[in-house]
Amino acid sequence: MAQVLEVRDLSKVYGDVTAVDHVTLSVDEGALFGLLGPNGSGKTTMIKVLTGQIRPTGGSARVLGLDVEHEGLRVRERVGIIPEQESPPSFLTAMEYLEFVGAVRKIPDIKERAERWFDLLEFGDKKHVLCKDLSRGTRQKLMFAQAFIHEPVLALIDEPLINFDPIMQDVVKEYLTDYARSGRTIFLSTHILEVAEEICSSFAILHRGRLLHSGPVGDLTAHGVHLPEFFLSLVRKDSHA
Amino acid sequence: MPELFMRMMKEEWRIHSTMFGQISFALFPVMIFGIVFMGSFLLPLLQSAIPASNLALITHAMFLVLGVMVGGFGLMGNEMMNRRFGQASLLAYSARSLPLSERFIFLNFVVKDTVYYFFLWVLPFGAGYIAASPFTGVPLAQSLLLLLTLALAFMAGLCTIFLLSALYVRSRHACGILVLALGAGLLALAFTTGTNPAFYFPPLLLYCGFSWGLLLVSCVVLAIMFLLSILIFSPDHAGTTRRYADLFAPLLKNFPSLPHPPLVAKDFVDLYRSGIGVGQALFSFLIPLVVIWFFLSLLGSYLPPHGLLFLFAMITGVIASTMYTWVTEFDAFGPYACLPVAVSTLIRSKITTFSLLQVVPAIFIGLAAIISGEPAYILPAVVLCVSISFYAAGVMSYLCGLSPSVLVYDVKVLFTYLVLDGVVCAIFSAVSFANPFYALSSVVLLIPGWLSVKAAMKRWDAVDPAGL
Repeated sequence: MAQVLEVRDLSKVYGDVTAVDHVTLSVDEGALFGLLGPNGSGKTTMIKVLTGQIRPTGGSARVLGLDVEHEGLRVRERVGIIPEQESPPSFLTAMEYLEFVGAVRKIPDIKERAERWFDLLEFGDKKHVLCKDLSRGTRQKLMFAQAFIHEPVLALIDEPLINFDPIMQDVVKEYLTDYARSGRTIFLSTHILEVAEEICSSFAILHRGRLLHSGPVGDLTAHGVHLPEFFLSLVRKDSHA
Repeated sequence: MPELFMRMMKEEWRIHSTMFGQISFALFPVMIFGIVFMGSFLLPLLQSAIPASNLALITHAMFLVLGVMVGGFGLMGNEMMNRRFGQASLLAYSARSLPLSERFIFLNFVVKDTVYYFFLWVLPFGAGYIAASPFTGVPLAQSLLLLLTLALAFMAGLCTIFLLSALYVRSRHACGILVLALGAGLLALAFTTGTNPAFYFPPLLLYCGFSWGLLLVSCVVLAIMFLLSILIFSPDHAGTTRRYADLFAPLLKNFPSLPHPPLVAKDFVDLYRSGIGVGQALFSFLIPLVVIWFFLSLLGSYLPPHGLLFLFAMITGVIASTMYTWVTEFDAFGPYACLPVAVSTLIRSKITTFSLLQVVPAIFIGLAAIISGEPAYILPAVVLCVSISFYAAGVMSYLCGLSPSVLVYDVKVLFTYLVLDGVVCAIFSAVSFANPFYALSSVVLLIPGWLSVKAAMKRWDAVDPAGL
C-alpha cells in the first residue's frame, strides 16, 4: 500500500525545549492513524510540522510526496487541517467563513457544500452568527467543516472531538471511519484513548517528543490487549526510565 | 488593588520583554533618554528659527497624541496578545473569573497604563532634558516643570481616549456628538478670539506660566475625566446571537482584479464589523491630526509659504501609514495556518487593503488644502502624503511583518523606522519647501516602498509565524 506520509528522524526544538525528538514513522493510504500522547508530548507540533506551518529543526518529512519544509503551501492546498486551538476569524459569520475558505481553495460550489455541512453537523441555525459569538463546540464544528469541505485525500486533525457532545462525537466518529473506508487517509492526534481504540486502524505513541511505539491497533487486540492499558503502561515505564 | 496592579505591571513588562528580550526592551527608555539628551544640544540652533515656547507646544502635542495612542493600544491589548502568542489572555480579561468587579479591574488597568508608560516614555524624555540642562543653560526648575507638564499632557491623552472609548461602547452616537461638540467648540473659540485653541491646552498654559491654581485645575479636570471613564465603563459581553447579512460574497465580487480578493474582502468585513475602521479613523487618524494641525498652525510664520500644508501632508502620510496596523490588528496568522496561505500572501493582501484605504488621507489632505486656501496645491500635497504613507508602510511591513503594533516597541525596530522615515521626511520637506510642485517628485518613494514590501514577503516567509 502507498504511503501518504513519511517522517524520517524528524526533530523540532523551541529554544531549549525539544518538542519532537528524532521521530521516524509512516502512514499508509486509507489508514485512520492515531497519534497518541499525553499533554505536551509533541503531537500538535508534529501536525504543525507535517502541514508546513512551522519548519522542522532536523530530519525530513514528506506528505503526499511533498517535502513539508519546502513545499508547505502545496501540502496545505491538498490536505485538510483542524488545528488544536485556532478559532475561525472573529468577524466573519460561519457561512462567510466557509465562503472565505471556498474562495481561498477555489471551490466553485461552496454554498451548496457549506449547506451540506451545516446539515450534517447540525448548526445551520448559527450560519449567520459571527464566529466570535459561537460557542466553543460550534466553532469546532465549523473548523471540522472547513477541513473537509474540499474532500482532501488526507486530513490532519488535532483533537477533533474534544469540544463535542456525545451525540456529535458519534456523528464525527462515523464520518471519519467512512472517510477512511473510502480510501482517503486521516491523521488524528488525540489523547482520548478509547476513541483511538474504537476508530483507528493504526497508531503511534509519542512521549516527551520521542516515539515509543507504532503499529496496527489490530496487533494489540489480537493479543487481548486494550490500547488504553498498553498506552498507560508504556508511558509510565518511560516516565520512570 | 496593589496585588492586581503589581501583577498587571509585571505582565506588561513580560509581554514586552518576552517579545524583544529583557535587555533590548530595557534599552527602549534609555534610547529615548539618549535621543532627548543629545537633541537638547540642538535647541539653540532650533531656537534661532522657532521660539522655545513653540517647540514646547509641539512637544506637548506629541505627548498628548502619545497618550491617545497608548490608551487605544491598551484597550486592544488582549487581541494583541492573542495575535502574538496564540491563545493568551491579559489579566484585565482573565481576572474577570475572580471575585472582583469589572470596574475595579478597569481602574487597575488604567492606573497601570498611566504608571507603566510614564516610566517608559515620559520620564526618560523629561530626564534627558533635565540631564542636559546644566550644559544647555536651561534652568533646572524649567526642566522639572517640563517633565510635570508633559506628564499631564500624556495623561490628558490617555484619559481622553479612555473616556471616549468608554462612551463609545455605551453609545456610539453620544461619543460622536461629544467629539463633534468638542471640535465645534474649538473652532468657535478660534473664530471668536482669533487665537489658536491649542494655547488653551492646560499643560501648555501651566508650562508658560506656572501657578498652583492652574495645576490644581489641570489635575481636577484629569481626575474628572478619569472618574467619568471608570463610571461609564461597560465591559464587553460576548455571546450575542445576532444574525448578520452576508457581506463577504458581495464584497468578493467587487475585487476581482485585485491580488488575493478573498483576503482583501475579509479585511474590509473585519474593519467594518469590528468597529476598528470607524474607531481607528477617529482615534488614531482624525483626532491626532486635528490636534497636530492646531499645533502646527502655530509654526506658520516660521515656515516658507505653503510650508505648513506640505509639512502637514507629510505628517498625515506618516500617520496614514499606520493604517497598515489597522488591517493587521485582528489578524493572527493562526486562522490562516490551516489554509494554503503563506505569510507573504497575507502581507501582500494587507498592503492591497492598505492601498485602498489611502483614499481617506488623500481626501483629508485635499480638504486641508481647500480649507487652508491653497486648492492649487491639492495634487502635490496629496501625492506627497500618499507617497510618504506607502513608503512608511513598506518599511513597517519589512521591519514588523504582520505584527507592527507590537514590534514597534523593539528598540532596534523603532530606531530603524524613525531613521528611515526621518531621512525621507527631511529630504521632501526641503524639496517641497523649495517649490510646492517639486513635492510631486515624492512619487519615486513608491519604488523603495514596494521593494520594502517585496523584501518583507521574503523575510517573513523564512521564519515561523508568531503565535504558532
